[in-house]
Amino acid sequence: MNVETDTSWQRNVTMEIRKKAKRKKSLGNYLFILPGGVFLLLFLVFPIGYNLKITFEDLTALNILKEQSFVGLENYVTVLKDKIFLLSLKNSVIFTGLCIFFQFTIGFAFALFFNKKFPGRNVMRALILIAWMIPMVITGTLFKWMFAGDHGIINHLLLWLGAIDQPIHWLINDHTSLYSTITANIWIGIPFNMIILLAGLQSLPEETYEAAKVDGAGKIRQFFFITLPLMKPTILTLLILGIIYTFKVFDIILIMTGGGPVNSSTVLPFYSYELAFTNYNFSLGATINTIMLGLLVLVALVYLWLVRKEENV
Amino acid sequence: MNSLPKVNNKYFTTAIAVISTIIFLFPVYWMVTTSIKPMSGILATTPQIIPHEIQFQAYVKNFIQDTEILRFFLNSVIIATGSMILTLLFASPFAYALARLELRGKGWMIGFLLVVQMLPNIMLALPFFILFSKLHLLNHFISLIIANATLSMPFAILVLRPFFMSIPKGLEEAAVIDGCNRFAAFWKIVLPLAKPGLLTVGSFCFLHAWGDLLFALILTTDKSVRPLTVHLYTFVGQYGTDWNSLMAVATVCVIPIIIIFIAFQKHIVGGLASGSVK
Repeated sequence: MNVETDTSWQRNVTMEIRKKAKRKKSLGNYLFILPGGVFLLLFLVFPIGYNLKITFEDLTALNILKEQSFVGLENYVTVLKDKIFLLSLKNSVIFTGLCIFFQFTIGFAFALFFNKKFPGRNVMRALILIAWMIPMVITGTLFKWMFAGDHGIINHLLLWLGAIDQPIHWLINDHTSLYSTITANIWIGIPFNMIILLAGLQSLPEETYEAAKVDGAGKIRQFFFITLPLMKPTILTLLILGIIYTFKVFDIILIMTGGGPVNSSTVLPFYSYELAFTNYNFSLGATINTIMLGLLVLVALVYLWLVRKEENV
Repeated sequence: MNSLPKVNNKYFTTAIAVISTIIFLFPVYWMVTTSIKPMSGILATTPQIIPHEIQFQAYVKNFIQDTEILRFFLNSVIIATGSMILTLLFASPFAYALARLELRGKGWMIGFLLVVQMLPNIMLALPFFILFSKLHLLNHFISLIIANATLSMPFAILVLRPFFMSIPKGLEEAAVIDGCNRFAAFWKIVLPLAKPGLLTVGSFCFLHAWGDLLFALILTTDKSVRPLTVHLYTFVGQYGTDWNSLMAVATVCVIPIIIIFIAFQKHIVGGLASGSVK
């Protein structure tokens, strides 16, 4: 990403001159960020703050128009003792972990394959990306049909292969519902992983491979000793982004299983939605949100640290 | 494969690519074919991979006899276009300032944007619901437009910034020297040059808002402002196993996405790769 061509002392001198010239005008600079800044303060920072505030209150649909009382950490205690919360946390971890593992592995395989030059490559790469662009509501509906107990294509296929003896009702069975939603989400995630990894692969220096070939390193050795180490920054960033994007998946769950049966496919964002908009206990929903935010900030800090490390290189 | 001549090898690769693409995209194919099969074909004991009989009954029923869906379609267009415009309007000067102008705390701002672009939408939907209900803005397009724009703005700023950085500096400085003020220089010179970036970000914002379900589900109860996604969701509840109709509605909901995608494919693929990893 080395766009600047001038040497660092030249840059320092120009920066000094610019600084002096622009100091007078610098107040005007803030006008450029004013509209967006105000918008983000009003609709992003304020809501996050408000969300935090009501976790210490007892806001429900019943008292929304009245004064709410301060309850301290009561909501956090309630949530942490809640069995469904613990189950959704567990489901969220399973959901995220399995999705990331499979979409990354399959996406990487696709990326390596599409990194070769062959006719029709760009068309097919673009077609695969369509899976990622489709709204999740539609993908959810589509997989709901494919996983249907009666006449669903997945049962047909497994029966034909002899993998099962009788149709399985995937979405209304508490052992399979979560895994069905995971399958749908893996399908959505593969193109994203593929495109990011492909961009990374295409930026690798070809000479290194030439040199390795001369030294007699085979394809597999090249992959483990050249491709993987060189791709490390891309891979780490992708995994962290993947964790964050997967952790917040909501639509797929709502459409395919509604979190059921008996919460067997409830993940944290869905549980928050349920508490807030089925039970109308806004404070408890907000408490789950805040806990999720805490978890995501941890992951995001790792991400920021990685980005900074990369930019300094 | 070394024994084969090079040309064959290349076509062999293409053949494998075609097969894996077909397998991967089978769900999309299944959606479209389900929508044009008669019920007997859908419920056949051996699934008809290639429809034995084609009919457009589901489309006639859901789009011609029942025109309500056209309104949901229009609502989706209004919401997605509105939030795209709002996002671009606020994000582009912001991104320009971060790319070019001297500001205090730039690093902090970028860090903040990187973190908030990852927020789960339920985290915003809940406070939005309370906020907008107090402002009596539930069931208005404006609340949905604001909600979607909020979610895509951090992303938009972060992706636009490198586009502005890549525009040669001399141009706008020359314009300023020629007596243009900096806002005019930004509007007349920088923005037109950043068109590829604006297209990338614009199509992303449109697609995000088009696919939104949660905000629309929470912030609207009135059919007159509900988008297509909510309609599909309630449709699944009502006609749980009328797969024929469900897949027809789903197919129509995907069409605008395919069109946008074909039109801006280059920008979208490039933006995805640059925006996410940077």
